[in-house]
Amino acid sequence: MSGPLYLAWRYALRHPAKTSILVAAIALIVFLPVGLQVLVGQSARELTARAESTPLLVGARGSALELVLSSLYLESRPPEPTDWAQVERVEATGLARAIPLHLGFQARGHPIVGTTLDYFDFRGLHVAQGRRMAVLGECVLGARAARALGLAPGGELVSSSETVFDLAGDYPLKMRVAGVLAPSHTPDDEAVFVDVKTAWVIEGLGHGHQDLAAPDAETAVLAREGSSITANASVVEYQEITPANADSFHFHGDLSAYPISAVIAVAPDAKSRALLMGRYEGENESQQVLRPVSVMDELLETVVTIQVYVVAAIAIVSAATLATAALVFLLSLRLRGREIETLVKIGGARISVAAVLASEVVVVLSLGILLAAALTLVTSRFGSAAIRALLLS
Amino acid sequence: MIRLHDLEFRYPEGEFELRIADFRVERGERVAVIGPSGSGKTSLLHLVAGIVEPGRGRVQVAGAEVSAMGDAARREFRIRHVGLVFQEFELLEYLDVLDNILLPYRIHPALRLDRTVRERARSLARRMGIADKLHRLAPRLSHGERQRVAVCRALIAGPELVLADEPTGSLDPANKQRVLDLLLDYVRDHDATLLAVTHDHDLLDRFGRVVDFKGLGT
Amino acid sequence: MTRRHRQRSRIVPWLALPLALACSEPERTDAPATPSAEVPLSVWVVNYPLQYFAERIGGAHVEVTFPAPRGVDPAFWSPDGDTVAGFQSADLVLLNGAGGSAWVGRATLHADRLVDTALGFADRLIAIEAAPTHQHGPTGSHSHGGSYFTVWLDPWLALEQARAIATAFSAARPERADAFERGLAALEADLLDLDARLSRAARSFGDDPVLFSHPVYAYLTARYELRARSVHWEPGAEPDAAQWRDLERSRADPPASVMFWEATPLGATTARLTALGIESRVYSPCANVPARGDWLDVMRANAEALAAGPRPGRG
Repeated sequence: MSGPLYLAWRYALRHPAKTSILVAAIALIVFLPVGLQVLVGQSARELTARAESTPLLVGARGSALELVLSSLYLESRPPEPTDWAQVERVEATGLARAIPLHLGFQARGHPIVGTTLDYFDFRGLHVAQGRRMAVLGECVLGARAARALGLAPGGELVSSSETVFDLAGDYPLKMRVAGVLAPSHTPDDEAVFVDVKTAWVIEGLGHGHQDLAAPDAETAVLAREGSSITANASVVEYQEITPANADSFHFHGDLSAYPISAVIAVAPDAKSRALLMGRYEGENESQQVLRPVSVMDELLETVVTIQVYVVAAIAIVSAATLATAALVFLLSLRLRGREIETLVKIGGARISVAAVLASEVVVVLSLGILLAAALTLVTSRFGSAAIRALLLS
Repeated sequence: MIRLHDLEFRYPEGEFELRIADFRVERGERVAVIGPSGSGKTSLLHLVAGIVEPGRGRVQVAGAEVSAMGDAARREFRIRHVGLVFQEFELLEYLDVLDNILLPYRIHPALRLDRTVRERARSLARRMGIADKLHRLAPRLSHGERQRVAVCRALIAGPELVLADEPTGSLDPANKQRVLDLLLDYVRDHDATLLAVTHDHDLLDRFGRVVDFKGLGT
Repeated sequence: MTRRHRQRSRIVPWLALPLALACSEPERTDAPATPSAEVPLSVWVVNYPLQYFAERIGGAHVEVTFPAPRGVDPAFWSPDGDTVAGFQSADLVLLNGAGGSAWVGRATLHADRLVDTALGFADRLIAIEAAPTHQHGPTGSHSHGGSYFTVWLDPWLALEQARAIATAFSAARPERADAFERGLAALEADLLDLDARLSRAARSFGDDPVLFSHPVYAYLTARYELRARSVHWEPGAEPDAAQWRDLERSRADPPASVMFWEATPLGATTARLTALGIESRVYSPCANVPARGDWLDVMRANAEALAAGPRPGRG
């Protein structure tokens, strides 16, 4: 370390309170605008990237932002439910591949995403351990979810007994972990993926129970009339899907009416996309089709507008803080007058003496910037999740 | 080694005026300057060191015309050739003993701090009896210890000329002898010159020459 | 990103640049695998007839996997998760449709790789009579019943299945369409020949009733207008007293002289039937891999068993 810098460093260490206050002031002056920029920039990048990779979303009419954010980030309040018929409707157009999303349930704090295998291919998600879900009741964990839950293939995970949001169903299901995905650095890392049919089982729409025609189910039978059997409340419904009872699981009613949250429509080109969007333009249309990137752009416009005001406020605060810091340095110069005199008398070079004083500024600035960098790093790690939480609150 | 000729000096804000007709010190001499307080003894040392400029006259030190040098040249001359012990010690409060001794090496690019220099600093500290306090901060030293650090700092760069302002002023008799021993040994070993302002009349016999400051004026 | 936003983004303080660079993550690139004509089309099937048809049509251009163990009835078999994963890895999964293989409805498969070979004749499926309905909870009554799934016992329906397979193969590997067409044509000739044999064989019964040990022959009896009556007997199990009584009660006039079984019944059952004037013959549905020969061999043997007509010396 050069002489003046060394002396400045010793000086800073010897005056911890003063140094800390100055460092904090500098760190704030640097961090506030930079951190905000990084935060907004990264959020914008992330939001836009995810939106750009999701060409079209179909869902029930309602909040566009809610539909887009929940479908892209899998973590928020699920939008108004739509139904499986919308998957069939998109497929029937021949214009796009339809990938259903069933959202709203959780397993130990991680969102349960009911979907199809197409989702993995569409998002480029690869299995790192085990395999993809294959039979009812199996789940595939995102990399971070697996780490957080401490689960590997073969492990078990129970869907939370209470739904996060006010959905009708409440059927905790013990799921078997079939595989764990490689990290994708997207919200998919946090999710618990199941087949949409498994999500319906959790919702109570599909179920497994004793074979009512079998002799050992006699106690569960309320009435038999011809080939019609009415079960009483004691019929055993399974909370876990095992090879032994898997065959008894079934779904009632019209599958087309089964609820899902959204449909990702993967159209191969712009023309198909435009044609598909045109199909949803009727006045009595109960569904909406969205380009997530447009919704995100609108959102970012708002964020950027707010950012301008925030930056202006920060500029004023920074100027005041900078002036205070400068004053502190000037006072410090006066306090160190005697020391400077000594250095001159001993024969300190003019440049070295100036450097000793300047180095104090350099040390404080460096520490301040270092602290700002650390804060920015933290912001970049957790910031965009915070922004999303903020947008949805 | 030192020649002051027809010198006139006045502090800008003061009434005090110093006049020296002719003052010489030869190389290797150990000169004590005595005189009443306020008579300008410290100013004499500052003139010799080039810390202040005379209003008139010449200051020659080690063959160099100090009074003709610019500020930067005088600083370099000082750091290379002159060791100064100040009356108020003037240690840097935020540095420990070792760093205070090494200070000249940190404030002028002409001096290079290396392992030899650090070893020399330790050796000086040992001679001064402060080797066990090398990493003690200056404010935590006793008065006497601070003075000894100041002496070490003056000698660290191996100056040809040592200018000492009351180098033994705050010391007990034993340490007085110790500090003076070091200064005189240094002068002898390095063929250096010592010009010391002192009030310690019982130490005067250890100097080669005693100059009464009153006798220097015209 | 909008133009306005881009402009704002440029106002990045210079300090933010290294930070932003440090925080950015590398982009992932995942190119989808392109199908290669050199690798045989991977085809997984849910029963043996489909395996046979697929191999006849696809020849060396397909690699057919039928993972059910020998001896089980694939219609009621459920693969485990790892086996379903095998189905997931296939380029095409051939389904029999028409009910059966209920596991498909519970499994996670690529919907766009599923080929329901019975889709083209959904209106001609025969519903299972008297499937039990049940009700529990608020959702109303429902039935787990469906249609008979042994559609291939009617060679015309088998041919429709084969055509659906050929179409799917050609769509997956258009460059091999000619080969698939040739395979289909050869299979079609064999199926039409089988149909002719069966037509002749069925005529040998005239108006005589025919007994079947199990109601899996619905498509056969419908196609060839056999006066069929079915019981629910398993070849490997001794019928109980009630089953014998039911048989006695249900024998038509004139009584049936032949009972066709899915497999050779127990000796005691055969003997007791013989005593009742009923000859036991095997008409294998061949849903799983036969011990000898292939599907066509088994069907031809079935035709021969049918061609033997009512029990000789009867009446």
